[in-house]
Amino acid sequence: MLQYTIRRLIGMIPIIFLISVVVFSLAKLMPGDALSGKIDPLNSDPAYIEEMREKMGLNDPIHVQYLRWMSGVVKGDFGDSFVHKREVMELVGDRLPNTIILGVSALLITYCLAFLMGRFSGRYAYSLGDYLISGFNYLALAIPSFVAALVAIYIFSINLGWVPATGSIGSGVEPGTFDYFISKAKHTILPALVLGSLATASYTQFLRNDMIESSRKDYVRTARAKGTKESTIYNKHILRNSIIPIVTLLGFDIASIFGGAIITETIFTYPGIGYLFVESVNARDYSVMMAIAMMLTVLTLIGNLIADLLYGLVDPRIRLS
Amino acid sequence: MKKSAFWLVSIMLIMSLFLAACSKETANEKPAEGDKPAGEAIEGGTVTFGYTQPFKGVLSYAYYEGEDDVNALQFMHEALIKTGDDLTPQPNLATWELSEDHMKLTFKLKEGVKWHDGEELTVEDMEYAWYLIADPTYEGARFANVAMIKGAQEYHDGKADTIEGIKVIDDYTIEVTVTEPSVNLLDNIWVYPEPKHYYGDISSKELPDSEQIRKKPIGVGPFKVKNIVAGEMIEFERFDDYWQGPAKLDGVVYKIIDGSLAQGLIQNGEVDVIEAPKDQWAAIKELPNVNAVEADAMSYSYIGFDWGHYDTEKGVVVSDNQKFQNKALRHAMAHAIDRQAFIDGFANGLGKPLNTPFPSVSWAKIDDSEINGYEFDVEKAKELLDEAGYKDVDGDGFVEDPEGKPFTVNFDAMAGAETSEARAQFIIQSWQAIGLNAKLNGGALKDFNLFYDTIEADDPSVETFMGAWGLSADPDPSGIWLSTDKWNMWRWYSEESDELIKKGVTFPEDESMDVKEHRQAIYDDWQKLVNEELPVIFFEQRIDPWAINKRVQNVKVTPFGTDDFHLWAVTE
Repeated sequence: MLQYTIRRLIGMIPIIFLISVVVFSLAKLMPGDALSGKIDPLNSDPAYIEEMREKMGLNDPIHVQYLRWMSGVVKGDFGDSFVHKREVMELVGDRLPNTIILGVSALLITYCLAFLMGRFSGRYAYSLGDYLISGFNYLALAIPSFVAALVAIYIFSINLGWVPATGSIGSGVEPGTFDYFISKAKHTILPALVLGSLATASYTQFLRNDMIESSRKDYVRTARAKGTKESTIYNKHILRNSIIPIVTLLGFDIASIFGGAIITETIFTYPGIGYLFVESVNARDYSVMMAIAMMLTVLTLIGNLIADLLYGLVDPRIRLS
Repeated sequence: MKKSAFWLVSIMLIMSLFLAACSKETANEKPAEGDKPAGEAIEGGTVTFGYTQPFKGVLSYAYYEGEDDVNALQFMHEALIKTGDDLTPQPNLATWELSEDHMKLTFKLKEGVKWHDGEELTVEDMEYAWYLIADPTYEGARFANVAMIKGAQEYHDGKADTIEGIKVIDDYTIEVTVTEPSVNLLDNIWVYPEPKHYYGDISSKELPDSEQIRKKPIGVGPFKVKNIVAGEMIEFERFDDYWQGPAKLDGVVYKIIDGSLAQGLIQNGEVDVIEAPKDQWAAIKELPNVNAVEADAMSYSYIGFDWGHYDTEKGVVVSDNQKFQNKALRHAMAHAIDRQAFIDGFANGLGKPLNTPFPSVSWAKIDDSEINGYEFDVEKAKELLDEAGYKDVDGDGFVEDPEGKPFTVNFDAMAGAETSEARAQFIIQSWQAIGLNAKLNGGALKDFNLFYDTIEADDPSVETFMGAWGLSADPDPSGIWLSTDKWNMWRWYSEESDELIKKGVTFPEDESMDVKEHRQAIYDDWQKLVNEELPVIFFEQRIDPWAINKRVQNVKVTPFGTDDFHLWAVTE
C-alpha cells in the first residue's frame, strides 16, 4: 500500500507539469493583461503602463516567463498579485477559511439530504416517493446554480428577510463572540443550502441502487427467513453495507471543498476562493488565477488518490499494487 | 471520468466569464441634491454604502488603483484642496498661493487637523507623500502627479537624494517649485498627505502590503476604520476630532454586493446609498423608499473612425488611412444615428447626446448654438453621401466609393452588458439605412481587454469602434487628443488641434486677463474644430443614477460621487 502510494505520487509529477503548461498558456492566451484595464486618463498614463509591463516582465519571451513562474512555484512561491498588491499565497490564505466553511457546510447538507433520500428510495424503490425523489434530484441537477441562488435570495432574504443576502459576516460583531458565530452561520446557511441541495443527485442514486442490489443478496434473504424485522434488515444490514462504497466518494469532494463555488460565491458576494478566481480572471490577474488553478489541480489529484486508497481499505478484494 | 468532467466544467465556467467580463466606466457626477425627505434627523445611526465590485483593500490614496478602494477611502481621508461644485479647485485642509511667475506654489495648512491616531497633521506629511510617490521603487500610477515638482524626476531616477523643489518653511507652510508654469497645476499636483509618523520606516515598495495600509489605515476624514473584512465590507466609526466637527452618523458600512441583487437590497434596506446598475434603474427609481438622483457624469462615449496608426518610434500618430478622410462621409455617418432613441432604448434615458468631447458639466463646454448638433436626419445623410460621390453604382442597395469600388465599414464594440449586441446592431442598421454596407467586425463583439488590445495594436480590420472616456475636472484634453498621445485611439493627426490644446494650458500674455476666460476662448475654438472635423462621432454623455434611501439625509452627489459625509444623517 505504501509502495503504491509512493508510486502514484511520483506519477503525479509529469501530470502536474503538463497541467502547469496548459494553465500557463491558457492564461497567456487570454487577450489583455492586468494593465490593459488601466486605460483611463484619470488614473494612469501610457508611459506608466509601459514601464510596469517592463518591470513585471510581461514583455519577455513566453518561455522565459514560464520558467520564471515555474521556478517560483516549485519553491511554493506563486508571486505577487498585481491587482491586490500582495503575495498570492497570503491572498489565497485569507480567503480559504471562508471557502472551507462554505464547502464543508454544503457537503454536510448534501450528505444528510442524500442519505435520507437515498435510504427512502432504496427501501421503497419504484414507489411514488421514489419517483418524486429522483424527480427532485434531476431537477436540482438541471437548475443552474445562479438561478437557484437568485431565487433563494429573492425568497429568503428579500421577501422573508430571514437571512442576509450578501457577505460572510454582519457588521458590528466582535470576532470570537457568540454573536459572531451566529452571524457567520446566518450568512453561510443560504449559499450552503443552494450548493448542497443541488448536488444530491449522484449520492442519492448511488445509495438507492446499492440498496436495491443488496436487498436481493443472500444474506438479506437469510435475515428475512429468520424473521428479522424489515426495518432492522434495512437499517442495520443493508444500509451499513451500502454506505461503504459511498465513503470512497469523499476523496473526490476534497477539491470541491477548497475550490469554492465560483458562481454561488459571486452572487452571494461571499469572499472565498471561487469569488477570488472570478475577480482575477476579469482583472487578468494572472498570478492569482494560475495559483488557484494549480491548487485545484493538485487537490483533485490527491483527492483521486485518496479515493483509490479508500477503495482498497473498505473493500479488501481490491488489491492495490 | 470525474476528472475530465471537472476540467470541462472549469473551462466552461472560464469561458462564460469571458462573456461576462464587464466594461469599464469611470463616473463623475454633477452636483445634484436628493429631495429632502420629511422627518427629523436623529443623532447617530449607521448608513450602508454599497458597491458592486469587490475592493482590493489598498487603503491609501497614493497606492489605490480602482473605484472600489477609493469608495472606502473617501470616508476616511481628505486632501489639501478639493474640487468645488464648478469643477475648480477649492481650499480644504489648506489654502494656497501662487507666485507671480507661476513657478512657486505655497500651501498653508490649517492648524489642529488631527490624524485618526491623535497626531496633528503637518506639512511633513505632505512632503512625505511626494517622496513616497517619487521614490524609485514606487509601483503605483501617480508619478505623473508629482513629476512637475522640480527635482522629482531626478529623485525618481535615483540621481538625487532629495527633491530639490520642496521646501518646508514651518509646520504649516510648504513651498513647492515646479519645472514649468501650468494653468492646471492645482488640478494635477498630488495633494493627499500620508501619515509619516504612522508608516515609519516602511519602504515605498512594501507599503501597499503593510498592516498600516491593509488592516489599520488612518486618515484625517470624518470616519475612522473600525473593521475590515477583506473584499466584503469595511466598517467605519465616527472620528470625534474631525476638523469640521464630528459627523452626525455613528458610522458607515461600506458593503460589496452583487449587482444583480441591487434592486432587492435597496428595497429591503440592506443598502442605503449606491450608484445603481443602469439596467435596473427603471425599477429602482420607482421603489417607494428611494430618492432617485440622476447626476450628469464627466464621461462620454464616442464612435471612433480609424485614421491610421501610431508610430511607436517617433511617438506620434500617422493618419494614413484613406477610408475616412472624406469629411462629408463622416458627417453623413453622424447624421444617420438617432442617438436619443439609442439612449432611451438601451440606457433607460440615462444619457444625453453630445457633440464635443466636453460633457455639459464641464465649465469649458461650448454653447450648443455655436456648434453642429448632428441631428438624426436620414435624408440629409444620404444627400451628403451622394454629394461626396458615394453612389450605388451596381444596384445592390449599398453605395460604392467615389471610384466605384465596393465600400464596407467594419464596426467594433465591447461585449459585457445584456444589451451590447443590440446596441451594436442599432448602429450598424442605422448606417445600412443610409446605404453604407456596415457590419460587425469579425461578426462578434469583443470583451473589454480584446477590444482595446485590437485597437491599440492598430489591427487593420478595425475601422470604426465605440469607446468611452471618463474625464477629470480640468478640461485639458491632452492625454487623449494630442497627436503624440498613445490613447489617441482614432489616430487623428491635426497640427491645428495640437496647437490649440497646448495653448489651452498656457497663461494669458495679458496679465490682467482672467485665466479661465482665456482658456474658455481657446477651448471654444478647439471644440468648434473637432465638432466640424468630426474625427470621432461624439455619441452621448452619461448620466449616473444614484439610489439613496429616504431615511438618509444630506447626501450630496458631486462630480466625484458623493460628498459631505460628515453631514449625512438618518431619520430613524
